[in-house]
Amino acid sequence: MSFLSLTLLIFLPLAGALIIYGPWFPQNEVKIRRFAKGFAGFIFVYSLLFLAFFNPTEKGFQFTETLTFPDGSPWIEPLGVNFSLAVDGISIILVVLTTFLVLLGLIASKFSITKRHKFYYSMIFVLQTAILGVFTAKDLFLFILFWEIELIPMYFLISVWGTGKKEYSAMKFVLYTFTGSIFMLASILAVVYYNYIQTGIWTFDLNTYTYMKAFTYPTLFGILTFLGFFIAFAVKLPVVPFHTWLPDAHVDAPTPVSMLLAGMLLKMGGYGMIRMNLQMMPEILKILSPLIVIFAVINIIYAALIAIAQKDLKKLVAYSSVSHMGIVLLGIGAMNIAGVSGAVFQMVAHGIISAGLFMIVGVIYLRTHTREIAELGGLGQNAPKIMYFSMIIALASLGLPLLIGFAAETLTFYGAFTSNVFNGFYILNQYIPLSIRLLTAIAIIGIIFAAIYILWMFHRVFWGNMFDKWEKFHDASPHEMVVLISLIFVIVVFGVYPAGLINIFAPTISSFMNLI
Amino acid sequence: MELLNDIKNVFLPEFIITLFALLALILSFSLKKEHQNLIFFTSVAGVIFALYSLMLMGVSIEQQGFYESFVSNNFTAAFRVIILIGTGFTLFLSKDYIASFGKSIGEFYFLLLTATLGGMILCGANDLVAVFIGLETLSISSFALCGYTKSDILSNEAALKYLIFGAVASAIMLYGFSFLYGITGETNFTFIASFIQNYNFNSLLMIAFLMILAGFGFKISAVPFQAWTPDVYQGAPIPVAAYLSVVSKTAGFAALIRFVDIIFVESTLFAITLGVIAVITMTVGNLMALDQQNIRRLLAYSSIAHAGYILLGLAIMTNDGITAIIFYLITYLFMNFGVWAGIELFALATGKDNIDDLNGLAYKHRYFAFGLVICILSLAGIPITAGFFSKFYLFKAVISAGYEYTPLLVIALINTVVAIFYYMRVIKAIYVMPDEEVRSADIFRISFPVRLVMLISVVGALILGIFASPFIEKAKTVNISGIETILP
Repeated sequence: MSFLSLTLLIFLPLAGALIIYGPWFPQNEVKIRRFAKGFAGFIFVYSLLFLAFFNPTEKGFQFTETLTFPDGSPWIEPLGVNFSLAVDGISIILVVLTTFLVLLGLIASKFSITKRHKFYYSMIFVLQTAILGVFTAKDLFLFILFWEIELIPMYFLISVWGTGKKEYSAMKFVLYTFTGSIFMLASILAVVYYNYIQTGIWTFDLNTYTYMKAFTYPTLFGILTFLGFFIAFAVKLPVVPFHTWLPDAHVDAPTPVSMLLAGMLLKMGGYGMIRMNLQMMPEILKILSPLIVIFAVINIIYAALIAIAQKDLKKLVAYSSVSHMGIVLLGIGAMNIAGVSGAVFQMVAHGIISAGLFMIVGVIYLRTHTREIAELGGLGQNAPKIMYFSMIIALASLGLPLLIGFAAETLTFYGAFTSNVFNGFYILNQYIPLSIRLLTAIAIIGIIFAAIYILWMFHRVFWGNMFDKWEKFHDASPHEMVVLISLIFVIVVFGVYPAGLINIFAPTISSFMNLI
Repeated sequence: MELLNDIKNVFLPEFIITLFALLALILSFSLKKEHQNLIFFTSVAGVIFALYSLMLMGVSIEQQGFYESFVSNNFTAAFRVIILIGTGFTLFLSKDYIASFGKSIGEFYFLLLTATLGGMILCGANDLVAVFIGLETLSISSFALCGYTKSDILSNEAALKYLIFGAVASAIMLYGFSFLYGITGETNFTFIASFIQNYNFNSLLMIAFLMILAGFGFKISAVPFQAWTPDVYQGAPIPVAAYLSVVSKTAGFAALIRFVDIIFVESTLFAITLGVIAVITMTVGNLMALDQQNIRRLLAYSSIAHAGYILLGLAIMTNDGITAIIFYLITYLFMNFGVWAGIELFALATGKDNIDDLNGLAYKHRYFAFGLVICILSLAGIPITAGFFSKFYLFKAVISAGYEYTPLLVIALINTVVAIFYYMRVIKAIYVMPDEEVRSADIFRISFPVRLVMLISVVGALILGIFASPFIEKAKTVNISGIETILP
């Protein structure tokens, strides 16, 4: 398919950013937003074409594309860096998720963004380029390059259009992510140098390290590089000791940016973990999987408990995000086809659901200018549409059957429960029955906590007696309806028919899990 | 006849710079005041001719002249090109800045060209005496340049501090030279190197090394010889500060690299010393920069930190490290001049140089702010700018020198995180902070030469980022005389 070019796909948003930011584009707010929405819609349709022509049964990467100089030399020859892009089953689904959420985020921007429109819409597009670049990079160098590019638009998006301690939160986000990324940089250099020692070729090509991996890493070296990768992605995912940037960033970011942050940026962590930690060094993951699974369980339970205690609506949703991303970590730690498929499914599900939840928070905040749960109540009386939409999204979040969250969580927990990756240890001849089954059983308790905080939040916000000051709380406006209905459409469709989604990435996962 | 041959073979650009420096001096007392701008064009012509002559000269093979006290090869040529381009940028930055002070324009260009001459001699010096001459020519001209704005107290303070530090550093280095001479009985690098190869390492050599390092450490502002940097960068005229931070530093690195790779290669102790100084330098620079309120002081500490990164490439003592240094210096030239040009534009328009004064700059001057931020991001090492690639190549060189250098790499990586904090502060002021007051002058209307430098720098910082490959390839072909036989 010659008209399907990944390079074009990832640079289209950048072109959009240039068109909007340049002096030729009118300052008119409406025109800017219309153009941005139209452009994002075009990119979304274009990315759907990739999905349409994607052949799930084919092994390895598809749509591979390597840009070279006219004389055929690679992009940065002295470093062995190729500008090569490709997608496999996991990345194609995240690419489409990204373009979809950006479109919805731009639609949702209408009321929450009130200043510096040119700058805002161009930054969203730059962010989209960076994230698409991360998902499609077939070269480790490109991966980290796009990974770091993403920092700058995100910094601006939080610090310029945010609320509250926005500059502090934005700086915290940048420092956390950048700290993570230098660990990744060190690990990438380490594995590339190791490959160089072994084979004499200096290359950053991802295939060399994943699908066509010719060697296993020595244990100590492997563990150190593994931890380097893990810290980078754990900051992004986020995993509990490294998660403190997330509530701050989410709470202070404007609504559309929160949607994108939860919907796409956290997925970069999960994606990176599957690519690097799982695909590149499965032998090390096998050793360290107890650690990963314990982290996952802590993530699920701890974040859920904190979410219950939150008084701020947006913080609650943010912590529920952390809790749900723990399920992704659990699926990766399970190291079987069902577990990893569940992790990918959960990434998509969480991307849709959390975007929806943040949208609802934004809708409420726009009308009430408060996020204190205690100050809200009975909002459903005046706004039945918002209430019912919120109900569906909230129920999806706690994992109700026939909605997307259920399929994802069930698959992951099934995978983790049937996994044999570790079955207890002998410490000083004493058998410790700490198997993955036991830990999964503990993690499932997190689902109950999720039900508690979601239902309780829903109850306190939409039901009960209404304060007089919310008399004029009006129902959803058309563009809010569009965003919420689109999200609910995806939630219901893939909740009823999860195979439609699983069939796209499961063959990829089974092909590389079989290699392992 | 031999003199002419020597000049033609190895000394042509330096000779041209000398001629044009003298021409500038003559013009400065023979031209009327309103025609003094001619000196600027003369100096630019001198730099262009020197660059052109460098291209004409065959530098692919090493040539020596003046009784082997001066060499010309592609290593020195690479550094001379950086120095000349940097001087050209400085000239453009100076035109309006110096004219606004109104008196004796000619002297400034004369001093600038003389300093450049010293820097170029430093690059190619193959003899202890030539090194000292080059260093002193560069230093003494720089002292005078720092104090050029006589009525400014800060400028006077800068000149005096620089002078005292420089004099002490030179004296220490000269003492180190005397040790080297005492050990070997030679002043020529080649003879010294061949003597030291058969010489057992002892503390005398180490003392000589440390003392020589003091002299160069002063030039490149490496810790513990960095204390002058913030005051001088803050007080000196802005073009001079830019000159010191790029050109003078490049010259210092050229001489230091030649010293280390020709004479001090035998013992790993030298490498360890350099490595320790490198990591201390970058750490001190970055930590001190965190809390600076004045952007010129911030840039001073940032330039100290960058000196640390560059020293890292020297500490690993591989050819790849040298390539990384050269590429780093090329990118540093563009990104640093870009920031300095931005600061100068801002200072010319408003007369201010605190970070807080930049608040809300992006509201009024979108493209100016964008260019400045590109250069700052490049200094911070964020893709897709040149700074990211030069840092990446440097780290690649460090790791491919062997896993034993991993601690250095880790410290350098942590430093890049610290650095991003203070660079982001500047970006925050420009883009995030609200505009508190209306800017007095429109930046787009003033000083075309400075805007030109800024434009070239921003474009350079982006082009070097996107198309790094040819430049790295070019830097790879560079090698220092003698280094191939010793280093891997």
